[in-house]
Amino acid sequence: MIVKYCLASVTSLALFMLVGCSSTVTMEMPTIPEPRIEKIPVDVAVRIPAQFQDFVHSEEVLGKDTWTIHLGSSNAAFFTQLFGFMFENVTILGPDDDARDYQFDALVEPSIEGFEFSVPSQSQTNAFAVWIRYRIAVFDSIGNSASSWTVSAYGKSQKEGLGGSDSLRRAAILAMRDAAALIIMQMDKVTDIRKLADGPLESADDEPGKMTAGAASEEQSNEPDSVIGVFAIGGIDDAAE
Amino acid sequence: MQLNNALLGILAISLTGCVTSRIEDDRAQGTGIEDGESVVVMAKSYHQGNETEADYIACVENALGKGSDAVRVIPNQQFVDNLFPWFEPRTAPADTKGLPGLMGRPGVEAAVREMGVRYIVWLDGDTERVAEGGSLSCAAGPGGGGCFGFAWWQNDSDYEATVWDLDVHEHAGTISADVTGTSFLPAIVVPIPLIARPQAKACKGLATQLRAFIVQ
Repeated sequence: MIVKYCLASVTSLALFMLVGCSSTVTMEMPTIPEPRIEKIPVDVAVRIPAQFQDFVHSEEVLGKDTWTIHLGSSNAAFFTQLFGFMFENVTILGPDDDARDYQFDALVEPSIEGFEFSVPSQSQTNAFAVWIRYRIAVFDSIGNSASSWTVSAYGKSQKEGLGGSDSLRRAAILAMRDAAALIIMQMDKVTDIRKLADGPLESADDEPGKMTAGAASEEQSNEPDSVIGVFAIGGIDDAAE
Repeated sequence: MQLNNALLGILAISLTGCVTSRIEDDRAQGTGIEDGESVVVMAKSYHQGNETEADYIACVENALGKGSDAVRVIPNQQFVDNLFPWFEPRTAPADTKGLPGLMGRPGVEAAVREMGVRYIVWLDGDTERVAEGGSLSCAAGPGGGGCFGFAWWQNDSDYEATVWDLDVHEHAGTISADVTGTSFLPAIVVPIPLIARPQAKACKGLATQLRAFIVQ
């Protein structure tokens, strides 16, 4: 009987220690403010991929503790809101919807290519940082690939409180907001999506191939110098690929 | 009663660490603020490596908005949200050269006017521990416990506030605060903390100077 109690106590203690060494962060639905921009006059369909319905990312930090972040369907809500602000007409498609059943000028397919974060014990700073790499694929109305663009976003939040869960959540929200800013400012320039309102691409020669945010900002942007400078810094994630 | 309060006050003052501070300003042009005009306090972008703490920004905002010569302060998150996406860490203008172009964006100038923002104050800098030393050990037993030893640490709060005048799209000047504080923790059975708060001092000093700079 005593042995049973001892075993139960030891097991409970071990479980407590395991729980104590892992942190789980669940994202709430992020919202972005309505941007001060002119809408792009294109009818777009946005396909929300299955991975946007329940995205989970875990990382073990130097063998000490495990951090798990549940993005849930926050990316689906985020892109629905973002593209609603950016384009004149937006149709949201689920992962199983057939695009041929819908009328649009351009089909946009966002996806997550990479998600990383660092916690203070890794970075030796007092901040949590989140990097998200999205891919934005654009197709014309008959399914030709028009553009494939990598968007590297970064968010950082200082540690507040004991656990740090709120700080990691805030860093993730800031990274999504950073992606929104980059997409709003660069998408039309990088993908030429506005031209698709005139009709589908005529030949395979029109396909511009893969582009990245950093490269695009330097080669194509006509933004003020100050903005270009900041974009170059925003492209640091591409260099690490 | 009054004697007790006075003694407590003297004790509180004596139980703080050593702080040295230097506040300087460098004016580029004349300033001034009218009724209905306001100031927004922002942190320089973390994309550029800035580490200014959120609580320091809140402290400067609060200090600017208090007192007899208080200035009207618009909370920075309200300003950033209202002008999304033009003042995000990635997109905020790095210098005043970009301001005329930014104000020409749809709805930007109107939003700035609506909020009455005359000055943007960009904060840069942080508080760091630059030195520490000593040793302190504590022990406890059935008969009681206690600590013995001496520890100290030095924090350096180094901040700079750059003021932009949105009326003329020009840099109005810079105010810097450099505050060093050394804290001590001697312990003979009971530890006696003598804590220096350079960040609080840097906040108060910079906000006072900033208010004088703007109001003139």
